[in-house]
Amino acid sequence: MLNASYAGRTLPTTGPVAITAESVSRFARALGLSDAASVPPTYLITLTLPAADPLIDDPEFGLDWSKVLHREQRFAYHRELRAGAEVTCTPVVESIKTVAGNDLLTLRTEVADADGLAAEVWTTLFVAGDPQ
Amino acid sequence: MTELADLTPGDRVFAASFPVSRADLAAYAEASGDRNPIHLDEAAAKAAGLPDVIAHGMYTMGLISRAVLEWAAEAGLDASLGEFSARFAKPVVVPAGTGAVVDVEAKVRKAETGSVELAITALSGGEKVVAPARATLTSN
Repeated sequence: MLNASYAGRTLPTTGPVAITAESVSRFARALGLSDAASVPPTYLITLTLPAADPLIDDPEFGLDWSKVLHREQRFAYHRELRAGAEVTCTPVVESIKTVAGNDLLTLRTEVADADGLAAEVWTTLFVAGDPQ
Repeated sequence: MTELADLTPGDRVFAASFPVSRADLAAYAEASGDRNPIHLDEAAAKAAGLPDVIAHGMYTMGLISRAVLEWAAEAGLDASLGEFSARFAKPVVVPAGTGAVVDVEAKVRKAETGSVELAITALSGGEKVVAPARATLTSN
């Protein structure tokens, strides 16, 4: 079981991370996208998931990564991000719900560049409970 | 050329089919940094209670985004993706030899002035692997 008292908590903002042209083209090629220069719609997951590492690694939170399945994913793009941009990520524990002994954890990560909020990324993880 | 204003709810806007191999998943694992062994190694997948190696949910969602982008480019749409979401309902199982196929199909769900919302299904192995994904395109 996750520590439900973490709901609503904001994690530390990451240091600026560069969206490198190299990482963008590798990601685009892995999906077979013909345009290897534009930032692919799902690329931001490569920045937002590592931003949640402090939560995933926090023993007080109790998340066992081997019991996690990715349940839901949502992106809201407020402005176009281009290769070369530097962004920070601020994850927020939006909700923790327990359904039939399993947990549903939703994180919302704000992705910002020098001009402010550029995108929001929601990730919902299903965390299997201990067998009864 | 297609304009967003030409689209009506219920219109089928595209269908696309993507083969998925173990090598594709290995390349995606490297590109994304998600090296969870259930996407790479049969023994690890089976130990986790899965029938075989499964694709990353984000790989499937990436293929859906590709289908949307390819359609928009082909149709000459001058629009940007504003929102994009998916719920992963069933895993895409990727056997070593034959691989898998993901079939993606999109219909118009909502059409408003300057924006269109698509509902996108993805099937693999006869199963719906996502609850309809949603993509909202907004005129530039």
